[in-house]
Amino acid sequence: MSGMAKLSAPPGFLQRAQFTFSAWPYVLLLIAAISLPFTGANDYWILLATRMAIYTILIMGLNLVVGFAGQLALGYVGLLTIGAYTSSVLVEKLGVGVFPALVIAAVAGGAFGALLSIPALRLRTFYFAMTTMGFATIVSQIVLAWQSITGGGNGIVGPVFPAPFDAANGFYLFCLVLAAICTWTTLNLSNSRHGRSLLAVRDVEVAAAANGVNKNVLFLKTFFFSGFLSGLAGALFATLQSYITPDAFTLDLSVLFFIAILIGGRGSIIGPLLATVLLTLLPEISAPLVTWAPFLYAILLLVIVLLIPGGIAALLDVERRKPLKTGRLIIPQPVYLPSVLDNPAGAESIAMKQVELRFGQIRALDGLDIDIKPGQVHGLIGPNGSGKTTTLNVICGFGTPQQGSLWIGDRQIPFGSPSTRVSLGIARTFQTPKVVGEATVLANVMLGGTTLGTATFMESLFGMPRHRKDEKSLREHALMALRVVGLEELAAVQAERLQHSELRFMEIARALVSRPRFLLLDEPAAGLSPAEIERLGDLVKEIGRHGTGVLIVEHHSDLVFRMSDQVTVLNLGRMLAAGSPAEIKVHPEVVSAYLGV
Amino acid sequence: MSQVIFFSIVATGLASGCIYALIGVTYNVMYSASRVMSFTAGQYGMVGGVVGALLIQNLSLPVWAGLLLTLVAGILLGIVTEIVGVRPVLKNLEQHLYVLSTLALALMIKQVAAVEWSTEPKPFPRVSGIDTGIWEEKYWLPVVALVVVIAGLELLNRYTLMGRAFLAISEDTFAARALGLPERNLRVTSFALAGAIGSLAGFAGGQMLLAYFDNGTMLTFYGFIPVALGGLGNNRGALVGGLALGIFQQAATFLVGGVFASVAVFLAFTFLLLARPEGLFGNSRKTRLV
Amino acid sequence: MLTSESEVLLDVKALQAGYGKINVLQGIDLQVRRGEIVALLGPNGAGKTTLLRAVSGLLPWNSGSVTFAGADLRSLGPRGTTRLGLSHVIEGHRVFTSLSVTDNLSLAGYDLKHTQREERVEEAFSLFPEIAEKRHLSASTLSGGQQQMLAVAQGLVRRPKLLMLDEPSAGLSPVLVDRVLAVVTRIKASGTAVILVEQLVEKAIGVSDRVVALARGQIVLDETSTAANLSAGLQDAYLGHADRQVEATA
Repeated sequence: MSGMAKLSAPPGFLQRAQFTFSAWPYVLLLIAAISLPFTGANDYWILLATRMAIYTILIMGLNLVVGFAGQLALGYVGLLTIGAYTSSVLVEKLGVGVFPALVIAAVAGGAFGALLSIPALRLRTFYFAMTTMGFATIVSQIVLAWQSITGGGNGIVGPVFPAPFDAANGFYLFCLVLAAICTWTTLNLSNSRHGRSLLAVRDVEVAAAANGVNKNVLFLKTFFFSGFLSGLAGALFATLQSYITPDAFTLDLSVLFFIAILIGGRGSIIGPLLATVLLTLLPEISAPLVTWAPFLYAILLLVIVLLIPGGIAALLDVERRKPLKTGRLIIPQPVYLPSVLDNPAGAESIAMKQVELRFGQIRALDGLDIDIKPGQVHGLIGPNGSGKTTTLNVICGFGTPQQGSLWIGDRQIPFGSPSTRVSLGIARTFQTPKVVGEATVLANVMLGGTTLGTATFMESLFGMPRHRKDEKSLREHALMALRVVGLEELAAVQAERLQHSELRFMEIARALVSRPRFLLLDEPAAGLSPAEIERLGDLVKEIGRHGTGVLIVEHHSDLVFRMSDQVTVLNLGRMLAAGSPAEIKVHPEVVSAYLGV
Repeated sequence: MSQVIFFSIVATGLASGCIYALIGVTYNVMYSASRVMSFTAGQYGMVGGVVGALLIQNLSLPVWAGLLLTLVAGILLGIVTEIVGVRPVLKNLEQHLYVLSTLALALMIKQVAAVEWSTEPKPFPRVSGIDTGIWEEKYWLPVVALVVVIAGLELLNRYTLMGRAFLAISEDTFAARALGLPERNLRVTSFALAGAIGSLAGFAGGQMLLAYFDNGTMLTFYGFIPVALGGLGNNRGALVGGLALGIFQQAATFLVGGVFASVAVFLAFTFLLLARPEGLFGNSRKTRLV
Repeated sequence: MLTSESEVLLDVKALQAGYGKINVLQGIDLQVRRGEIVALLGPNGAGKTTLLRAVSGLLPWNSGSVTFAGADLRSLGPRGTTRLGLSHVIEGHRVFTSLSVTDNLSLAGYDLKHTQREERVEEAFSLFPEIAEKRHLSASTLSGGQQQMLAVAQGLVRRPKLLMLDEPSAGLSPVLVDRVLAVVTRIKASGTAVILVEQLVEKAIGVSDRVVALARGQIVLDETSTAANLSAGLQDAYLGHADRQVEATA
């Protein structure tokens, strides 16, 4: 196929992008942890290390909710309590075996965790934080009151494992293995489309929806898994304590878990892991620290929030501090387009019919008809308040008109539901680039392929073959898209370090990854230099030539005239004129509309 | 039910409701000035009780001095909250950061009280020296405090330019700034005021809640419920919400016992919030940060 | 010593400003003299609002220089610039609907002494008798047009040397637009300079001494309002290099 460029051997940046995950901190930690029992350390330290491993299990799960999904779950000690008491009651009162009880306790934690996803989806940050705090308090009080089952204030015996797990060393290694597995699963998840979707929902929810992320389902699964790990940790905790009472489960503990993630760094796995180790060890250094431990945690939290919002992970990330080349040019290479947009061109158009959208008294759209044909670049211009961006938003599922209809070919598509658009072949960019700053450029672009992946949440957790295949092909595909827009050199760089114009092109790459039939660009030229605007124009024309229908909303009328096949002018929510650029440029009503005559 | 028990429920419910309402007002004052929901509101209340007991009981200061210095303590904490926990993170539109900074400050305040005061609840002295028979001081002090605060805020808003500046900032911070209002000074003053209100709540509620370092956490949650129900920034809503909460809590305690009362409050609160995330009286006015 | 009418009041040199990473203003040079009315025109996204915000201090900037009445405006916020005699009426008639009309004006004079503030509020009312009638009512009872007049009145309470109006005609009926522009003409007589950002190009030119057009963050036109090539220059600014065969018909 002409124009299909051969992918040469992966240059250095690709290797860096693939292997930004460096295993050495994890390996070192694991080695240190495994060798502990063999150093002849006394039981006190073994127990402390066991506690650390158990906290790690919970924190790895909580990390997904707090660090990745960005939810302020302050009350996770409630799930720890549920896990601990479930396993203890099952073993002690109902004679269930220890291992089945462990699993049931984890499932119980998962169930309540999933329940917490409901307020997470409905409530604002602070409100959700309060709800989880209330939850933790309630769990604690119920445990206290339900004396017949839980032993109330007197407590209950924790489950005892059979040999060799009843000895300190044995139990420690058991917990360590579980902690390692849990860390490994969350690591897998962070390098999957589910992990990237979580970050997108956290930072740029609108862009997440536009790329097909279903927030409800994602949260349900994430919260269940996170609760599962907490329940598991709770059951192990009960064994560790050998006898549990309600006042072992304080809100202070809950806050400690939460702070570990913030100090470690959101969106990181190694950060919270190291923070857990650090915070558990801290009170051991000297006696006064025990009394003042909560104060110390709070100061650490404050310092992190004010000075190093990225946490320990940010400190460890040496790559991030390496200076970037200045005077970088963005040189798109449209020759690679066929490898990216390798779906056959459709023949259907998007049609908006008689759409009316009112916000109170304001008629944003007042009976608008517009078509976006495949293979055509369609420019949409108009003075302030004419409804250009509103039109684009409605097509993309943001905003619910009171009248009118939306069609692809002869299928009507519903208003609203932005997360369905990308599977319908509609992709978009935003007026201000919406990116996950702390993720790499490559990871950001891979977000565009969220709906292309087939590996389920579970498959991603355990690194199953389908997950690995997904990731590999998506990575190559995304890299190709970056080539098309001319940003492949920056693939491994954190997105927040990019210049504004580079972010704009990156968004286009992200949109291309989903192999869209229709590409909607919202003021893509704002903030670009004249040279960059030229290149943007050429790229867009090329995209159109490959069969994708492009809608471009712009203020830069001359850019629109240069790159469009068809131009529609809006004024006051209606179509004022439509035609070729040559016709529109000289249209007297258009000039009047702009000059407010 | 006997008259005595009925009276007890109503009196306790009203008193605790007033304390909750006052903490709700504390939240609202901080929110109106900065669009920030601060975790420190409940801790100001705790400090009011602890510092009050410390000054009047342990250091034998006269009541008026104890009250004054307690308010000063609240004011100072409010100012520190603004400078350390709010101002540095306001520029950053990420929602979570200011919640965390105020959480950190709240934890620090609580821990200092735990270590320097005591982890045990201590009694709070009687302050008014007036014998009111069955309707003891611990029942009417919070009511008086609430009335004083609400009246004071009304006077502030209606008769001082500063009060109206607060309202302006609360309604439209950007427009207020564009007009040349001293936004930062007004914000610091708001937080100082919030600290004073919170500590007054704790002082007036000292006999009911005792001087206990862990009151802060309880007040953080129970003081938040009136805000959630009444609508952010809505003091009248907080008043109604607080009183309703106080009475509901006491009635539930009587009817189903302590634990289930808490569960009832929590479940009722959660369901109401899920059904109406802006609160029962709140409006879904778009807010900048939250 | 009398100051001459042509004294430069606002001197903007090589100003660059933007939001986050987006550099909107690409180096602006602009001068406004005492008593001069300057119409600031241009398509959306050109940077008109950004320029006003940078000058008044609502938007921080760090490249170039802005001097007003001899003072350097760098790192001054709106409070500082207001005190120097610069008033910025932002777009969208954002008055405080939870307060009365009088309170809205009083707040505009927050830093003034009590009696002086009352005087100035009365002065502002005298320019807009329609809202003076409603002085004790809540600002929420005013129509959109009246709220816009209130917003302009707020700008005048401090008797500014320079008044910057951002799209005062937005959402207003033609009659009310004329009312507002009549006030602009009137205050010019007392020596106040005005920068008027407007979408209604003809009306804006009608009251102005000078026309400045902004496009893509740069000044593309700076002429007196009676200049011959004004119309063509404006078309260029708004529509790019449009075909000049068309006369903008009234």
